[in-house]
Parts: sequence; C-alpha cells; structure tokens
Amino acid sequence: MSEGTLAGGQEDAVPSRTPKRTIKKTKLRFSSESLWSGGLLVPVLAFFILMNVVPTIWMLGLSFYDYTLTSAKGMEFIGFDNYARLINDGPIQLAISRTFLFMVLAVIIQTALGALIGYLFWRSDRMPGRRLALTLLFTPMVLAPLSSGLFWRLILDPVFGLVNYAITSLGFEPVNFLTNPDWAFPTVLLVDTWMWTPFMALMTLAALGSVPKAELEAAQVDNLSLWQRLIHVIIPYAKFIIVLGILLRTIDVFKTMDLVYLMTNGGPGDRTELIAVGLYRLAFQSFNLGYSSALAVLLLFIAIALTSIYLFVLNLRARKELKEQS
Amino acid sequence: MTTISVEDPSTNHTSMRVGKASQRERRWTLASVFSWVVALIFFAPIAWIAMSAFKTSGQILSVPPLFVFQPTLDNFIEMFQDPKIPKFFFNSVLLSVGSVSIAIAVSFLAAYSFSRFKPPGTDFLMFLLLSTRFVPAAAFVIPFFQLFGILNFRNTFHGLIIFYVMFSIPFSVWILKGFIDGVSQRFDETGLVNGASRAHVIFRVVLPQVKPGLVAAFVFNIIFVWNEFLFNFQLGGTDTNSIPVALFTALYQGGAVNWTYVSALGTAYVLPLAVLIFFFQKYLLVGMTFGTVRGEV
Repeated sequence: MSEGTLAGGQEDAVPSRTPKRTIKKTKLRFSSESLWSGGLLVPVLAFFILMNVVPTIWMLGLSFYDYTLTSAKGMEFIGFDNYARLINDGPIQLAISRTFLFMVLAVIIQTALGALIGYLFWRSDRMPGRRLALTLLFTPMVLAPLSSGLFWRLILDPVFGLVNYAITSLGFEPVNFLTNPDWAFPTVLLVDTWMWTPFMALMTLAALGSVPKAELEAAQVDNLSLWQRLIHVIIPYAKFIIVLGILLRTIDVFKTMDLVYLMTNGGPGDRTELIAVGLYRLAFQSFNLGYSSALAVLLLFIAIALTSIYLFVLNLRARKELKEQS
Repeated sequence: MTTISVEDPSTNHTSMRVGKASQRERRWTLASVFSWVVALIFFAPIAWIAMSAFKTSGQILSVPPLFVFQPTLDNFIEMFQDPKIPKFFFNSVLLSVGSVSIAIAVSFLAAYSFSRFKPPGTDFLMFLLLSTRFVPAAAFVIPFFQLFGILNFRNTFHGLIIFYVMFSIPFSVWILKGFIDGVSQRFDETGLVNGASRAHVIFRVVLPQVKPGLVAAFVFNIIFVWNEFLFNFQLGGTDTNSIPVALFTALYQGGAVNWTYVSALGTAYVLPLAVLIFFFQKYLLVGMTFGTVRGEV
C-alpha cells in the first residue's frame, strides 16, 4: 500500500489491485461502517452531553425555582413565575433595548469603517510590509476583551490618561469618560469599534478576494468607473461574505460582557448595562440563580434563532454554487 | 441543509496569485501609505501599553504623559521574580495546550464521521455545535459553577481542561469538517478497495491532507482558551488561574490599580498573540468565522 502517493494527492498513481470481494464481505463492511461512523463520534458526544446537555438541562431546571443564594429560604418550585416576571421586568427590557441600540450603532459604524479599511488594504496588495501592517491592524480583535478594557482604562484615565491630555491641551475641560453618564455609552461603543472594525476589515478583504480576477480585469478593459465596478462586479460577489460578517458582529453584541464589565461594570447607574452584563450581575452580584437562569434560557433561545439565520445565509450560497455547477 | 461548509476554490486560487505578485514587486502607493497609517492608529493603544511597561510608576502617572523617557526593565524583572506570575503563565500554557490537543484529536474523528458517513442527526448536531458559538458565556456560568461544585472539579486542572475541551470542540469540528469535505471521497474509496483498513484511511490518507485545518484549529483554539476569562475566574482558583484573571485581579489589589504590573503583564500577554497573528495570518479568516468562511487575505 503506497500511502505516500495517496497523501501526495495523486490518486491516479495508486497501483490498482483487483478487488477480491464477495457479497458477504461487502455486507460485513457495511455493518463495520456504521460501527465506525458511530464509534468516531463517541468522544465528542460524551463531552457534548457532559458539558453542554447537562448544564443546559440544569439551567432549564433552575429557571423554574425561586432560588437566591443569599436568602435563607432555600429552593422553591414556582413554575413559570420567573418567566412571567421577566416579561414585566423594566430594567431587563431597558437592557435589551440598550443592547439593540448598541448593536445597530456598532454594526453600522464597524461595517462602514471596516469596508473602507478593507478596500484600502485590498488596493494596496503590494504595499511594503503588508503582513506586519495587517498584524498591527488585526491585533486588537484577538485580545481578550478584558485586557482591552483594562488598557483603555489607562488611556482614558481622567488624570494621567493620554486622551484627556490631548483634550486639555486643545483647551477643553477634561472628561471622565467611564463615569460620566453622558460619555460612558459612547466610550464603550468606541472601544468596541476599535476592537471589531478590524474584523469587518478582514471580512471585507476576504469578500473582495472572492471576486474573480477575470471579472475585475474585464471591467478594467471595459473602462468602467469605480462606482459601476462596485455595483456590477464587486458587490454581487462580495456581498455574501460581508453579510456573514455583519451577522457575526450582530450576534456577538449579544455576548459583549467582559469589555463592559471591566470598563464600567454596566454603570454609571445602568447606562452601559448590556443584556449579557445584566445577566452576569443578576447571577453573581445579586446571586439570584433561579431568575437569572430564566434570563439565560431566554438568551439561549435568541442564540438558537440567530444560529438558524446564520446557517440559512450560509446554505443560501452553498445551494447557489451547486446550481451554478450543474 | 445538506452542505454547510463554504468553500470557493477560486477564492484560494486568485488570492494565491495575488500573494505571489506581491512578493515579486513591492511599491508605495497612496493607498498603501494610508493603509499603514490606519494599521498604526489601530495598534497605537497597544503600543502605548507596551511603552508604559518600560516606565517607572511615577513616569506612567506623570502629567503630561511622557513619550520620551529612560526605559527600565524593572517592571519585567519584578514581575518574574514574583513566583505567582510564572505560575499564571504556566497555567495558561497548560490549560490551552492540554485542552486544545485533546479537543482536536476527538474533533477530527467526529468531523471525519460527519463528513464521510453523515450519520442521522449530523445536521442537527452541527447546528447545536454552532449555536454554542452564539450563546453569551454568562448564561452558562451558573450551571457550570454548581456542577463543578458537585463533581469537585473547581480549581482543578482536570476540571478546567475538561471544560476547555468542550469549549474548543465546536469550532474544531466545524473547521475540520470543512477541510475533510474538501478531500475527495475517492481517496477513501481507493484505499478501502485496495485493502487498506478504515483506520489507515483516516490517519494515513485523510489526516495528512487536512494539516492546514489542524494548524488553523490548533492556533485559534489556543488563542480562545488563552483569552478566556469568565469561566477561569469562576471555576478556577489560585492554583489554576490564567493570565486574564491575573490582569483582572490587579485592578482590585489594594484600592488603586497597579499600572506598572498591568502594563508589564499585559505586554507579556499580548506579545505571543501578535506573533501568532503574524505567522498564521492566512488562517485568520477561517479562525475568526468559526470555520464557516474560507479564503485568504
């Protein structure tokens, strides 16, 4: 058996041997095949059940109890009361609408900026030191949000921070970015934009890379203006990956927690309390396990809905490709 | 819902040609100057922290901020003399490498099964795995906290490694299934017809062809575990805490933030990440999109 040639990707080079197989043997292979297909899945399934299914069921169970760690009352089964309370919970609704506002602003700003930056880098594919420049650009998005939050606290410090030094030397009053109720939300949005615009730039670069070179060259030959090229050549190919990028960013806003937790802990007051931060505060600052589990279940359903949308878009393209091939 | 992996061979092809062209001749254009400026702007906050790491605490707190100063290595020397810090690094490396290695091994097997045998429920399981990417981590903290209490897993390496294995599995399965789908079924068939065992086909025929997928899965899972804060903070303890938790606790040590400590530790924490991004840039796209989008930048 020459696995060397096989691994090299030349299947034609495999010496053909006459298969000596009887029907009985084929049957045997069939049953061993299902054994393989199941057996290979066992470790992943074991992990999945222990570390995913069990916690989910646990969470579901907790959500039907009145259970606060700090109260002496213990656990009490209350059915759907936690969910009923959730529907009428003002602060939670406020946090959800704030998350939506944050989501819309963050996604629009980051997509626009990211598209611009992505286009810039796409145009300069022969720039000197491109790899280093891209590394510098992409580093913010691979940092733990927690450390980014910490770094920005130093930069935004009202007394010795770099930004306030710039503001005061221009003759303005220093701003306490993270504790001023008017500034906290835009500041968190700004830091989020710093972290995630590179991601949209990456998606734009990939999207532009998916436009066939031949089409671009044809457009050049036809002397199309930049605008025409964008509408007729680039966007039809690039839109798919951009949409996936926008979807991923939209979904990730629901998960934004560490960054806000570290920078403002949802404050001042509740000015920056996004839903994931609210959930964490409910669980680990009020120790209200039953009620916070109900909120967690709600977010789980939102996540599943979002996953379906993402997969739908992903499949849309796969199906389109199949159609084009046939 | 039959094919979920996205793969555009023409993407790879064109971008490879671009890559070769860029190696042939490099030149400055207006766009490339702007690109460099943008890159430097985005890196500036990190550069500022790295600069602060070489300042004394008086220099960090000085008004106006110092751009030119006598650099000192004291912060790093002090940091590594504190026995806790090498321990944090050791924990981060052990947790990430240990769990990601296990996760990739088991994910490769599962991805092979999903790709080749498509057992009933494949689409549903792939869907569930993807959905774990979309759930806020805070939603799962409480059940894990209680579960780990019952199992006596809190603040143990085996407990956290098991957690991080599951944390890394969904992404690994998705990315590896995409790569295995890209290997023609004919390789498997030819091997089996010629008398090779299934194990031989999996490990000697398919495995060598998905090496890029394994590398991408490994690198990005390491980054994700290296960065993970919430669960290490809640499920770990002084024996098992990683660097992000060390950064976090620095905030609340004795009232004021110890900025020399934060900037030195932060710099030492960022450096490996930047190096990984530099060397594995071509896997960044597949890494940041959960293996659902392939191509190069």
